[in-house]
Amino acid sequence: MTSAYASPPGGYPPAAAPPAPPAVVATEVSKVYGSGDAAVHALRGVSVGFARGVFTAIMGPSGSGKSTLMHCLAGLDTVSGGQVRLGDSEITRMSDKQLTLLRRNRIGFIFQAFNLLPTLTAEQNIKLPLELAGRALDQRWFEQVVEVVGLRDRLNHRPSELSGGQQQRVACARALVARPEVIFADEPTGNLDSRAGAEVLGFLRGSVREMGQTIVMVTHDPVAASYADRVVFLRDGMVVTELTRPTPDAVLDTLKRLGA
Amino acid sequence: MLKTVLAGLLAHKLRLVLTGVAITLGVGFISGTFVLTDTVEKGIDAQFAASADRVDVAVLPKKPGPELPAALLARVRAVPGVTEAHAMVQGEAALVGADGKVVGDSPTAGLSVSDGTLQRYEIKQGRAPRGPSEAVVDDGTAASQKFRLGQSITILDRRERPHRFTMVGVVDFGVASGTAMNGAVGFDTPTALRMTGMRTLKEIDVLGGDKAAVAGAVGGSFDVLTGKELGDRLVAEVGGDTEIIRIGLLIFGLISMLVSALVIYNTFSILIAQRTREMALLRCVGASRKQVFGGVVAESAAVGLAGSVFGVVAGLGLGHGSIALFNAMGAEIATAGFGLSPRTVVIGLLVGVLVTVVSALLPARAATRVAPIAALRTDHEPGGGRFRLAWPRATAAGVLGVSGLALGVHGSLIMKKGGSAISMVGIAGLLVFLAIIAMMPAFVRPLGWLVGAIPARIGGVPGRLAVENARRSPRRTATTTIALTIGIGLMSLFAVIASSAKASTSAQLDKEFPVDFQLEAQFSDGETPRTIPHELAAALRGVPQVGEVGEMRVRRSEVDGRPEEVGTLNTGALGTIIKLDFSEGALADLKPGTVAVNSDVAKSRGFGPGATIKIKTRRGVVPAKVTGVFGGDAPAPSILMTEPDFGRQFGAVEPTEIYVNAKEGVPAADARSAVEQAAKPYATVKVRSVVEVKKELTKIIDMVLMIFAGMLGLAIIIALFGIANTLTLSVVERTRESALLRALGITKRQLRRMLSVEALVMGVIGALTGVGFGMTLGWAATNAMAKSAIFAVPVLQIIGFVVLAGAAGMLAAVLPARRASKASIVESLASE
Repeated sequence: MTSAYASPPGGYPPAAAPPAPPAVVATEVSKVYGSGDAAVHALRGVSVGFARGVFTAIMGPSGSGKSTLMHCLAGLDTVSGGQVRLGDSEITRMSDKQLTLLRRNRIGFIFQAFNLLPTLTAEQNIKLPLELAGRALDQRWFEQVVEVVGLRDRLNHRPSELSGGQQQRVACARALVARPEVIFADEPTGNLDSRAGAEVLGFLRGSVREMGQTIVMVTHDPVAASYADRVVFLRDGMVVTELTRPTPDAVLDTLKRLGA
Repeated sequence: MLKTVLAGLLAHKLRLVLTGVAITLGVGFISGTFVLTDTVEKGIDAQFAASADRVDVAVLPKKPGPELPAALLARVRAVPGVTEAHAMVQGEAALVGADGKVVGDSPTAGLSVSDGTLQRYEIKQGRAPRGPSEAVVDDGTAASQKFRLGQSITILDRRERPHRFTMVGVVDFGVASGTAMNGAVGFDTPTALRMTGMRTLKEIDVLGGDKAAVAGAVGGSFDVLTGKELGDRLVAEVGGDTEIIRIGLLIFGLISMLVSALVIYNTFSILIAQRTREMALLRCVGASRKQVFGGVVAESAAVGLAGSVFGVVAGLGLGHGSIALFNAMGAEIATAGFGLSPRTVVIGLLVGVLVTVVSALLPARAATRVAPIAALRTDHEPGGGRFRLAWPRATAAGVLGVSGLALGVHGSLIMKKGGSAISMVGIAGLLVFLAIIAMMPAFVRPLGWLVGAIPARIGGVPGRLAVENARRSPRRTATTTIALTIGIGLMSLFAVIASSAKASTSAQLDKEFPVDFQLEAQFSDGETPRTIPHELAAALRGVPQVGEVGEMRVRRSEVDGRPEEVGTLNTGALGTIIKLDFSEGALADLKPGTVAVNSDVAKSRGFGPGATIKIKTRRGVVPAKVTGVFGGDAPAPSILMTEPDFGRQFGAVEPTEIYVNAKEGVPAADARSAVEQAAKPYATVKVRSVVEVKKELTKIIDMVLMIFAGMLGLAIIIALFGIANTLTLSVVERTRESALLRALGITKRQLRRMLSVEALVMGVIGALTGVGFGMTLGWAATNAMAKSAIFAVPVLQIIGFVVLAGAAGMLAAVLPARRASKASIVESLASE
């Protein structure tokens, strides 16, 4: 076993009719670091779409380009070729300033570690993206999110006074409270023990099921991936296969076949 | 270990540069001071050597000893072998300027100038004077009066009779003559003796003959020197002046070094905290505590050495640059070669390295406490979190603060005003400042909250984050800001003292000089004070624009056997133009046969009310009863008697000062021109108004303040490097945090603004502490100075200091901010 997570309980939602336009689409995206002999092709023409209201995991062995793909999808990094669309905006053409505004208004992030600002309380951290965007806070929605992640009595604590799992739940709440078009999660459970990890993954899946949130998560953990509705596999900078309604075993098998 | 240290230094050049700059600036100032004073000294030496070289033998008065009688010249000339002898005469000969009034507040010096080989001044234009109708003028005065060669000039003799001369030369009399302040005119020796009224000589320079022969001729009561000995003596006399300048500048240099030390201490503390892993790794692979300690100390020594080397080079530039600047501004500083002595280099390097190493000792000790296991742990933020005063620090701060405050209160409120009270306040200030240093980390959070209230409110999220960032590591912020506090604190202290001094004197002048104009003769160091003809007072009384006229008459006399000034004010002036502040008795008690005494004299001589003193007059020694004591700073003679008494005892004496009030309703300008018209025939009489006196005073005080501010500017610049340093290191530390913010949607500009606001808050915290400290100390010092001192706060200046500190802090943030905003988000997220 590579993970101690329990398998996700319960069944899957009924497969709906194919949802209208996908939230994020990558078309022939390539990414090259360096040049000449030293050039490293991190992505070699990746084309993939991410449907709205779906929890998608991106997997692949180390060096497969999964993190690079996520960075390009989220407008954190520039592409060498191809295009990325978020809704009807082509983000590969945007300036740094436009990208910043895009991230602020339409994208949520959860990182593996160092997710919170140490100088702010949990509540301030959660509200940060809304305040940056200058958007009004929907108090009821905030209450609901805080309730779901179970942070009510921790709101006035600073990150240094919270456990790793609690910190990551604050990060989840922060991503959810702004109701972004898509949340990108980069190894969100990488630094957590199995129980805390399962909790966080549970919230993420719950937010997709109950709130219709779109989530794209990069992970190398088959159990974490099994919480997703769909798993996209990368190897050597290309999409090689994908699974829907994955189980940890199916994910593990696929990875083995890919030679991980 | 040394190899590791050097490799680490080279790998982090920026770190090296930032730390080194603070040291470079401090050392640069110190070595610049030495270069400047050495160069000036060398120039003077060369000048003296050159002029003394021409002399074979010189005769000078012994110190102490009688002056050289004029008759001595003939005796020296008669010595066999003597081919030429020049008598140096130096007295006063007031030059009349282009406006018909004498030049300057004191008469110009009158000197004898030789037209032979013994001529030792630098003749810039024309030639030396010959005969009774030729004179030369010093270059500064000739330029300011716009005199041209060949023109006719008027010079007053000792008895103020005008004589006309042809100006045949413009001469630089040099530093040795001591005439730079008042200017000078030169004649041939007989004319100089006649004009100055001197009967003695300053020096006799001899060509030919030998020392023994001349010594035999003049006898044992005078010094006889060879040319070389003369040069050495002149150099020694002026050397004292350069020494004072040097010490003055070095005090400011030391302040700069103190600030540098704080900056270095802080930089090393942060570096050590950030390199905890590196240190732990070294421990893991087998480095001992001693080696880690040695490594940090070696690193500081290397940085200190590099910074000091640059500092010495910078000092060389600074020293020569300032000479060039002074010369461009009209000063004439002779330069002879490069004034970089080995001593300058040694002192510069030694001070720089020592200060750096000593500042790094505490951080180095902290480095040894890093456990090897820390290499494997993810560390949390260094130096962060709330600051709690540990008991040793709290005790130290308490003891220092309380004793400082107690001494301050004692010095400023209880002790007798004057020098020792001021010293007491000074010591109190030092103690309180040390307490502030100890307590500062505890002040950072509340002060940061206070200062940050506005930026946090109007700066949006970046503003709020910035304020939090400034408050997050109290120790770090405290040390960074204390460096600024020193400079700003001293500046506010001087500003407050200067403004209080202005207010106090101004109030004093208003109180004791209810006069519109004051007429006085040029000040002279002669035996009797210069006087104004009584006719002028009489004439003024006839001028329609003039109201009251007061006259002060003074005689130097002896009271109870010791010299004292005795005088009078005319009856009409007492209580009208001149209001005396009586501490004992009253003006009404001053009757014939009695005197009132200045309080300073009353105190020092013990002339209390009721005492009878014996005054020497031209009618012999007469007794007088003391009936009153008046304020020390009043414009009245020390021993004041009634006008009839004074006339009886001393006869007709001309007034030394005349006070004039304009008639009610007459515009000041009209009154002034009327008074000036009346005074026109009297070349030595100057008309001054209280407003002018105040202006002059203000000008002098402001100039001194400007010089101080300029010198302290360096300490402030170093402190700003400290802010830049701290911010740069913080930016490195917060790489991932910045990346997270960028990912969450903060723009580059917002990120830059965040750092600017953080620097602004730090700058203002430092400035506020400094301003608070400086003003309080200024208040205490003002109180300690004199009973009548008025405390005045130069509000605009003080606000200016705070604004300046904030703006400068933001300037210091420019580079770190650019660096932070340029970092790639993806790479920064991945970095550790």
